[in-house]
Amino acid sequence: MKALMARKAAVLWAAAILLCVGLGTWQVGQGLYIMAKAELAQVLLERAWTKTLEDGRPHKAWSWADTWPVAKIEFPSLGESRIVLSNTSGEALAFGPGHLLGSPLPGGNGTSVIAGHRDTHFSLLRDLKNDDIVIVTSIDGIGREYKIRESKIVLADNSNIDPRAAAGLVLVTCYPFDARERGPLRYAVFANENPDAI
Amino acid sequence: MSYRSQRPSVAESPRGWSHSLVLFSTFVCLVLLFIASFIQHAHADTGGLVKLNDVESGALLFNSKEPGKYVPAPLLATDVKIDVTGPIARTRVTQQFINPGDGWVEGKYVFPLPENSAVDTLKMVIGDKVIEGKIKEKEEARRVYEEARAQGQKASLVEQQRPNVFTNSVANIGPKETIVVQIEYQQTVRRDGDTFSLRFPMVVAPRYTPKTAEPQLVDFQSGGEGWGTVLPPERNDDLEQPPVLHPDMGKINPVSLTVTLDAGFPLGDITSPHHKIALKRDGERKASLTLAEELVPANRDFEMVWKPAATSAPTAALFRERIGNEDYLLVMLTPPSGSVQPEAKPREAIFVIDNSGSMSGPSMDQAKESLLWALNRLNPGDTFNVIRFDDTLTVLFPDAVPAHGENLAVAKKFVKNLEANGGTEMLPALRASLVDRKVSDDTRVRQVVFLTDGAISNERELFHEITSNLGRSRLFTVGIGSAPNSYFMTRASEAGRGTFTHIGSEDQVTERMSELFDKLRNPVMTDITATWPDGRTTESWPNPVPDLYKGEPIVLSARMPEAKGTLTLRGEVAGQPWEVHMPVAAGETRPGIGKLWARRKIEQLEADAQIAGNWEQNDAEITRVALEHHLVSRRTSLVAVDVTPSRPDGEKLTSKNMPVNLPDGWDYEKVFGEPAIQRAKQASFGASGAMLAMAAAPAAEADASAGLALPQTATDAPALIHGGMLALLLAAMLSALWWLQRHWTSSAWARRQQ
Repeated sequence: MKALMARKAAVLWAAAILLCVGLGTWQVGQGLYIMAKAELAQVLLERAWTKTLEDGRPHKAWSWADTWPVAKIEFPSLGESRIVLSNTSGEALAFGPGHLLGSPLPGGNGTSVIAGHRDTHFSLLRDLKNDDIVIVTSIDGIGREYKIRESKIVLADNSNIDPRAAAGLVLVTCYPFDARERGPLRYAVFANENPDAI
Repeated sequence: MSYRSQRPSVAESPRGWSHSLVLFSTFVCLVLLFIASFIQHAHADTGGLVKLNDVESGALLFNSKEPGKYVPAPLLATDVKIDVTGPIARTRVTQQFINPGDGWVEGKYVFPLPENSAVDTLKMVIGDKVIEGKIKEKEEARRVYEEARAQGQKASLVEQQRPNVFTNSVANIGPKETIVVQIEYQQTVRRDGDTFSLRFPMVVAPRYTPKTAEPQLVDFQSGGEGWGTVLPPERNDDLEQPPVLHPDMGKINPVSLTVTLDAGFPLGDITSPHHKIALKRDGERKASLTLAEELVPANRDFEMVWKPAATSAPTAALFRERIGNEDYLLVMLTPPSGSVQPEAKPREAIFVIDNSGSMSGPSMDQAKESLLWALNRLNPGDTFNVIRFDDTLTVLFPDAVPAHGENLAVAKKFVKNLEANGGTEMLPALRASLVDRKVSDDTRVRQVVFLTDGAISNERELFHEITSNLGRSRLFTVGIGSAPNSYFMTRASEAGRGTFTHIGSEDQVTERMSELFDKLRNPVMTDITATWPDGRTTESWPNPVPDLYKGEPIVLSARMPEAKGTLTLRGEVAGQPWEVHMPVAAGETRPGIGKLWARRKIEQLEADAQIAGNWEQNDAEITRVALEHHLVSRRTSLVAVDVTPSRPDGEKLTSKNMPVNLPDGWDYEKVFGEPAIQRAKQASFGASGAMLAMAAAPAAEADASAGLALPQTATDAPALIHGGMLALLLAAMLSALWWLQRHWTSSAWARRQQ
């Protein structure tokens, strides 16, 4: 009787602990999976991008992708680069920063907007400083230099980013960087075409 | 055995303790699980991009020195007069504003209107001057306005930003000057089943709350720097309590409102869900009402709902207007309402469900739930099939099968097991859904129900597929999720002669799907044709005439040299031919019928251009029609200039270097104060699929007002990892507790043994 009860209690204990371990492992796993996916995708995208540069046509990194690389963005001050995808759907952003439809492509006429996740591809935005250089290579293989003018916190639905303003670049990610919840604030890095570049 | 039972108290106590602890820890785990799922759920709610359209009420905003910051002008009074004639409402809004500042300012007035509204009149009363707006091509109107602004003349400009958002810019408003803005527009009333309704977006008086707004506002770097050049920066503090603005004014905005209603049919109930009204009936078809209270808190949109007394057969109504050498007609067809319904034909229902990656999360659940709901409501005589697609495609049955037990069970299992993954290749799915093996079978109606978020890019191909292969099928699009591509889906359902339904959240599934199913179940009238007395000289919209579903009125607008002879409307009700002859000269004369015709023509031109892609040709036609009928459109604007300069030379106009863009719905309360309001508003927008459709329309002009809407750019990873770590920590704590407990029990045991 006593042993039975003790065993029962032990089973309950074990179940509770296993449940917590299971839940915890699953959640951490999911989190790490998201980050790993983000990292790995960039490798595959890099490959697709190389092909795109070769023949000037869009290539999907994997056959079922809804999106394809449209630009490469480099941050020489941080020694980092990212492949930019053709849209900003949740699906695309999981794999890389995306070009916001409604704004021109980099090199186009106006201000082009690129958005990325604050916790993966665009976590580096917080390290950018005014006057840092950003290089964007478009599908035609032409690299353009932009110089960072300012960084601002804006509201997602009141960004005041006018895509028809002067030729420039806005990099956007969620704000604050360390928050766990999603919110209405965005961190926007504004860059102008670098007049010093030749 | 007996030995053990002799010590019940010893056995009892550790068991009780551990038992409660286990219970407790299980509880904690459950709470954690709950929190985790809640977090994910909350994320789903805020991820949408629907908020482009947040302007729910007009507000005059003055540009300030700092880009992106605006000084709201206190609104003093609003007077609204609405005339409803059949399906048309004509609204005149008169609003009085004052420039509270000491400088000369340029103001911009944003007003949201129903998407089908035609703005045709603008009047500005500044001091004792009345300026009437003239219609001009968009670019020219802007040029005229900007010239006037530069020369110190008072000027105003009404532009269409989106089909349902207009702006009115006002240049050179003097210090402490009062401005009266009067705008007139025409709209068709909303109809849902037997319920007609009309909404007026009540103006929320802008509350002046720079303290709340500042720390969270657009630009952190410039800190407390000047809230606008309306006042010099050193007078910043005064702005928090502008002398003209009584504190109470921010909360109560006196609105007087009058509606006259001529429904076009015998009236049943007339109600206003949010306001007390004084109602006066005038015969069985007419009524007028005013707000019962003189001071109405302007925090709720005014809504009026009226119902017809039940009728059993389609009834038609006719209005006319003569402009110049031409007659304009409005024909209204009211489907049968109430319980007396003709028997409907059995259906062949084809359900298409998008399970591509973009649907993952709540969208997929909503789509599945909607489809299961639909499957459960098929009639035994119906046949059906299910198609799912991502970048691959599965057609469940080789051909449509009878909707009975086994087939339904197979279909439900199939739907329940769907998972969102892969890309979106919509064209093959659309093609498969339109494959009709019994093209000439008119004993059944063939209905394609397409559930998707519409995340596609080859819209043109899809439209082409619909228009060329529709046959006897009808296409009903169901937009899933908070931000579906409703623009595409509305147009697709129009081309497919069906309807568009938007399901924005899980709790809307039942309501919206039953509305849709009511329509699907009751194909009141199909194959409608309108034969005009002289077909060659008559231009009638929409063309072709869409089917008449339950709950939807058909409104035809036509233009002809002279309204005489007989209009013949033919259709089919449940397999029975239906025909009505209408002497067109008999229509009652009403103003505004011509403008409605023009607005519908423009609507159709916009839709055609979208499908065919011939923007240039259609733009020219849109401009021509809009100019002729004095309507604001995508290509035309109203501009008014007072030729006498009012701003003295040397005085500076503060908005000089300001960006012309303006944040939509700049409402501190909405953005910062009460998230609940935000959600409620989203929900109310969800209620009108068509409006949302226009909000999602990728009109270039839209970008000008609020800047680009930015996407959600955070993953769940940090929250997941954080939550997971907590759970692991808890597991470790539990293990420690367990160990302690065992240790304690065994030592107690050992002691007792001794």
